[in-house]
Amino acid sequence: MNHDEAYEFLAALSLDAVETDEREAIEAHVLECPKCRSELDALLDVAGALGNSVEPLPEGLWTSISSRIYDADDDAHPMPVLGANVIALDANSSRRRRTFTKGFVATLSSVAAAAIVVLAISLASASNHVANLQRQLASNSYAASAALSAPGHTVVDLASSTKKDLAQFVLLPDGRGYLVRSQLPTLTSGSTYQLWGLINGKPISIGLMGDKPSSVTFTVSGTKPTVLGITVEPSGGSPTPTNAMVASGTVAD
Amino acid sequence: MEDISEASDAQLVTSIGRYNEVALAEVYRRHGGAVYGLARRVLNSSIEAEDVTQEVFLRLWNQPDRFDPSRGSLRSFLLAQSHARAVDAIRSLNARRAREIKDAAKTARGAYDMQHEAWDLSLADQVARALEELPEEERRVIQMAYFEGHTYVEVAALLDQPEGTVKSRIRSGMRRMRNVLIEAGVQGVES
Repeated sequence: MNHDEAYEFLAALSLDAVETDEREAIEAHVLECPKCRSELDALLDVAGALGNSVEPLPEGLWTSISSRIYDADDDAHPMPVLGANVIALDANSSRRRRTFTKGFVATLSSVAAAAIVVLAISLASASNHVANLQRQLASNSYAASAALSAPGHTVVDLASSTKKDLAQFVLLPDGRGYLVRSQLPTLTSGSTYQLWGLINGKPISIGLMGDKPSSVTFTVSGTKPTVLGITVEPSGGSPTPTNAMVASGTVAD
Repeated sequence: MEDISEASDAQLVTSIGRYNEVALAEVYRRHGGAVYGLARRVLNSSIEAEDVTQEVFLRLWNQPDRFDPSRGSLRSFLLAQSHARAVDAIRSLNARRAREIKDAAKTARGAYDMQHEAWDLSLADQVARALEELPEEERRVIQMAYFEGHTYVEVAALLDQPEGTVKSRIRSGMRRMRNVLIEAGVQGVES
């Protein structure tokens, strides 16, 4: 395809409105032609403006993306070391519902008896957002240490039903939180720890912690949770808890 | 520690190249709604739009070097990815669905108001004005190509017009829109 032919197709190409064979020919030319490349880039910006509307993101979509990143990692590549693990993602809908297990409710009642009434009645699914998972080590210990020194921080100890300390988090006033230490046992393949926060009487998924939590960073926007809890869920996580909590702890005011 | 919310898009993509998931999460927070919104509009399906959104961000995670900040904004790049995948999906639908879309395209002609479909926190006014100023025949072919996922050949068949005419209308319509956006001071649309 020569320059004039390709140039005539650029607008249609910017809208993905060309046939496959035409696309290949045009793109081959664009690679070699700065003028066409510049023109196409400008047209793509126009197309981008045309399609640039923002919609509320579905609850759980980030969890799916994040899980697929880690699943892919398990299959082929070593998990990259993350510089940090923070996300703050607002979810605006609550279209998924699942009944809590008795175990989850029972365990939660030991740390938040008042809240459990609301939780058991409403059974509403997450309205805040999902957070992050991780598997790497030392690089994030700095963030947790810094958080422990930050003004206004809150330390939350999570213990099992037998009062065994299993995890400790530190929360900052701006909603960021970090795993300080963990004694959670390594899970078998296909399972992950999932962190929950009780917010306004509802269990909110804060994020997946992986099968061997070592460093976890998350952000909870809006209302601070009154309780943090951890369950074991299928790899990829669950929109609402499906198993009894293995550890929980009250968040001090 | 640097506040990632203050990082530029280009810096975030660089961090993604270093396997920094928090950077990907921040990109998702900034642009996920737009990526999802475009896919949902083209596909008219929340579930399929979620699949497209996943693919777009996984692709960014796996191939961040495909984004060249010198060639445009990250938002435009991601929207182009979203649109391309949505169009791929819509073109791979079965014949029944395809017929439904074609029927809808025929019966909905004139009822579709692009001015209400294209909006953004920062560009809504400019884009709406650009759309308003397009002649109907140009607005229609762009709508069918972009929001309904048709090739110009398909648009020509649906409208019973010569392929060359449709291609020319797409080209002239896009250029008109670009000129309006340039006059409005929108960055990045100048060639």
